[in-house]
Amino acid sequence: MSSPFDQIVVSSDGELAEEAELSLLETLDHVLNRGLVIAGEITISVADVDLIFVGLNVLVSSVEKANEVLRERKKTTSKEETG
Amino acid sequence: MSESEQIKSPQSSYNSPDAIGYYVYCVAESIPAEEMAGDARPGAIEDGADLELIKTDKLTAIVSKVPLSIYGESALSEKLLDAAWTAIRAMRHEHVVEHFARQTSVVPLRFGTIYLNRSGVEQMLSDKQEQLIPTIQRLKDRVEWGVNMFCDRATLLDNITNVSPRLREMAEAAKSAPPGQSYLLQKKIEASRTDETKAAVARAADEIESTLKGESDGSVKLRILKVETTEHGELKAKFAFLVPRSRFENFREAAEQLAQRMESSGIRLELTGPWPAYNFANADE
Repeated sequence: MSSPFDQIVVSSDGELAEEAELSLLETLDHVLNRGLVIAGEITISVADVDLIFVGLNVLVSSVEKANEVLRERKKTTSKEETG
Repeated sequence: MSESEQIKSPQSSYNSPDAIGYYVYCVAESIPAEEMAGDARPGAIEDGADLELIKTDKLTAIVSKVPLSIYGESALSEKLLDAAWTAIRAMRHEHVVEHFARQTSVVPLRFGTIYLNRSGVEQMLSDKQEQLIPTIQRLKDRVEWGVNMFCDRATLLDNITNVSPRLREMAEAAKSAPPGQSYLLQKKIEASRTDETKAAVARAADEIESTLKGESDGSVKLRILKVETTEHGELKAKFAFLVPRSRFENFREAAEQLAQRMESSGIRLELTGPWPAYNFANADE
């Protein structure tokens, strides 16, 4: 099965394609909002998370920042073979 | 396991500038985790430290050392306001969880579970054993698939007289009614189209949930955080399903049949996955 990361696509003018933004949002939704909550020894306010989404949506449409995020994806996926 | 050069060993003082914490990504059973111990691993959430396994008898936590100068309480809360920083860390977190989830059942943790030392992690694994072991069993050989339902309002509105049973009836009645009555019925149909559109969307969402629930081990209707409008239309409903790997073809086929059936109503389905089962990691789900 392909990784959700494989869905990230950049269009010719350097903008993240809609599917890419949705895929990134899906990843963020899972990691920031879902998953088991275990109280570690550092407390983060969950209330901030929705703000992150709002901020990110604005941010992802900035080509520079989107490229930074995508470079990160390339870095992590090249470290091992994809399944 | 290699120690990193850049992130130092645990300091006694939480407030020391070199203080580190342990960031926890997910929990697995110790035996399969041990089997993966020699495999190549993805990078950790911060450069300068590798992934490590903190093992207890039954459960193993996948962790990495993080500097508390960045991941301490107030520092991290501030960092989370930086969307690009957060997006990158979230992707790294996801990548780690996916790596282990591919090979063995894991409980994916939410972003930001951090302990001040190894013994904190070990204590957690021991304290939470009765919760974590059944969850790991429940998620074994299962993956999460997301279904997003989009609605192209224009298409739906155009077709609503066919899609809605109520409007279909009224349209039939208008055809065979005398002119005066027919005109009134037409007006009524016009006035009802918006409400019927809403009703049709709700019916479609219910049908998706009940049909695909039957092809999975669990389902969750998710809160829509951001109203998306894409080429498929507006995001109207979002679901997560827990699907056994062996049953994925059945699930996908059912989703495809639904999608085909709903297309003329302007409803588009998007399947996303496979994901580690973040939405099914809680004991009560």
